[in-house]
Amino acid sequence: MRRAVKMTAVAASAVLALSAAGCGGKKASTGGGGGGDSKKIVKVGLAYDVGGRGDKSFNDAAYAGLQKVQSELKLDIKDIEAKEGESDNDKIQRLQLLAQSGYNPVIAVGFAYAGALGKVAPKFPTTKFAIIDDNTVQQPNVADLLFAENEGSYLVGAAAAKKSKTGHIGFIGGVATPLIKKFEVGYTAGAKKVNPNIKVDAKYISQPPDFGGFKDPAKGKTIAQGMYDQGADVIYAAAGLSGTGSLQAAAGAKKWFIGVDSDQYQTAAADEKPYVLTSMLKRIDTAVFNFVKGVGENQFQKGDQRFTLKNDGVDYSKSNPTALGDLPSTIDDLKQQIVSGKITPPEK
Amino acid sequence: MIDQEVRTPAPRTGGVRAFRGRRALTIGLGAFAALILLRLITGESDITSSGTMSAMLGLAVPIGMAAMGGLWSERSGVVNIGLEGMMVFGTWGAAFGAYFGHSPWLGLLAGIIAGALGGLLHAVATVSFGVDHIVSGVAINILAPGVARYLSDLFFTHESGGGATQSPQLPHFPTWSVPGVGGPLGDLEKHHWILISDLAGLIRGLLTNLSPVTLTAAALIPISFYLLWRTAFGLRLRSCGENPLAAESLGVKVYTMKYAAVVISGAFAGVGGTFLAMVASSNYQEGQVNGRGFIGLAAMIFGNWRPGGVAAGAGLFGYADALQLRGGASAVHAMLLLLGAGLLALAVWHAYRRRMVTAVVSAVVAVGLLAWFFLTDELPKEIVTYSPHITTLLVLAFAAQRLRMPAADGLTYRRGGGH
Repeated sequence: MRRAVKMTAVAASAVLALSAAGCGGKKASTGGGGGGDSKKIVKVGLAYDVGGRGDKSFNDAAYAGLQKVQSELKLDIKDIEAKEGESDNDKIQRLQLLAQSGYNPVIAVGFAYAGALGKVAPKFPTTKFAIIDDNTVQQPNVADLLFAENEGSYLVGAAAAKKSKTGHIGFIGGVATPLIKKFEVGYTAGAKKVNPNIKVDAKYISQPPDFGGFKDPAKGKTIAQGMYDQGADVIYAAAGLSGTGSLQAAAGAKKWFIGVDSDQYQTAAADEKPYVLTSMLKRIDTAVFNFVKGVGENQFQKGDQRFTLKNDGVDYSKSNPTALGDLPSTIDDLKQQIVSGKITPPEK
Repeated sequence: MIDQEVRTPAPRTGGVRAFRGRRALTIGLGAFAALILLRLITGESDITSSGTMSAMLGLAVPIGMAAMGGLWSERSGVVNIGLEGMMVFGTWGAAFGAYFGHSPWLGLLAGIIAGALGGLLHAVATVSFGVDHIVSGVAINILAPGVARYLSDLFFTHESGGGATQSPQLPHFPTWSVPGVGGPLGDLEKHHWILISDLAGLIRGLLTNLSPVTLTAAALIPISFYLLWRTAFGLRLRSCGENPLAAESLGVKVYTMKYAAVVISGAFAGVGGTFLAMVASSNYQEGQVNGRGFIGLAAMIFGNWRPGGVAAGAGLFGYADALQLRGGASAVHAMLLLLGAGLLALAVWHAYRRRMVTAVVSAVVAVGLLAWFFLTDELPKEIVTYSPHITTLLVLAFAAQRLRMPAADGLTYRRGGGH
């Protein structure tokens, strides 16, 4: 029995060591050579949401902004990935680690950080924080970066309705949170604007507090296949990683797919590219870059900062012109009407 | 309850075997007939469509492979709750092999090896060192995601499209269809004729667009049955799960048998992991296994530690999940009727057998479900998502009375411990 206990202890410590090693982020090389720089060194920290770098969607958009920071502003950056099924405590520690090691500003990617940031921000009053997709944390040193997802989704909804031959389109959401519902509402409204009789199928992969729906491509694929089988011919997937499965299903059924957050035409496999109609762009990269730049120029703004169609915070992609055909004329017209305030896409 | 079904390994007569076969066939046909009836009553054509059937197969394969892995291990007396972790090893191994070997087949091979290595770890801990099986299994489940992340960080972060939580795009497996099935059956299915269209949907779903991993998984079930129940190796292996000391006294190398069983168990989990990474999606992603190893264990218990039952359990869960994901609230709503009717029949059966408490409980639940069906049009979306889990729970609750696990399952065996 004693041996059993010892073995368990060994196994347990091995587990701890390995998971600790697994959590460590990569430190990107510092831009700008030599130590002759007399400028104050700004170190930028970024904490990813579940899904992490390489999701071809939400987190990758944040990473793109960070890369731009690194190459254009020549700053020291560090990014840390979230762990599968982690608690709020892990998030608190991650933010604290960044702030304590002198990273300033620190950017928290995703509303999941709201609780953690609310506890960490007051402890580091001189560090500037930003959180994406949330405005429940109102502190003097926190900027809340918000996006008008409903406006962007309105445009791709109109595109879907215009492209659909069956009068039946689909929406796949990762997790049924208020944020993702905002995508659905905008999409449906845009589609109905173009074709009031259109049928919109909406389905969520998981229900909170199970956030697995953002990272289950197998289920994203099954749902999409079901919708295509039942007559939908365009599907918009706002489901993070799971969307890659839906895209696979689209290529298999030879029907249309609409991407989200990043331009998914760019990251799709060669045989899937023709089926990406467009993507709803959420310029997290621009938001991250502008935020860091603002802090560097001592122009930090606390509180809500909204990124809308008007200031290019959201948009739709035109990277697949063969698929889009003459759609942009209609959509750009709608876009102008939203920007000028003639149309206000609903939020809920 | 334990000795309810203990048999001497006397030669089993053909009669028993035929009886089992006939019973399985009856259950299968009965279930299919019930589904057809349900489709007619509710008008939900997706209940027996080829899309649902093929989705069922896709969702059942990883669960079924985990369950078969559990069966191999537990038949030798080692409880394996580390299957979840071994599947994680499998997903990562498949990605590594397929990406760096530039071939999906190398991915399958590497996935199997990675899973088997996870099994080996469990065997070393439980068989050689006598660690409690549950403790070792839990350790593997915690260890696997950590190792996978560490290795991804090492191998995938510098590849385009890869990162610490995922691999780059992997090469695809080809898909095969039985020739001449897809077209004509597809036409039949569209007519929604009773029985004919349903059968067409079933056959078309199960015989077209199959990946080699699916076929491998399907073949592994009868192969496992043959090896475990029709060969000397299988008899020895199972005797280690029933009474290792008796097996030892007859000259069976119990340690070797247990090692073999647990390593094979890991290899099965590896096949399931490969399927998840390469067929169900196109790359390895952290958290992809998402509890399927544990659901596999439930399917194994449901299947009474026998391959046919395990396949049925995995199929049931796959079907419930497919219906939930594709059809959503209204299709699952239709299932309430089936569940209610089934429970009502069960209540009558129990009453006939004079088991009054069980009969009353079943009847009350059945009436409740039927009332729910007739009084509502749709289920709340929150419940629909969990319908596969609820189904498993219900079925297990009612099937559990007839189950028998291997007698020495989960007990630590020491060589020469008999005297």
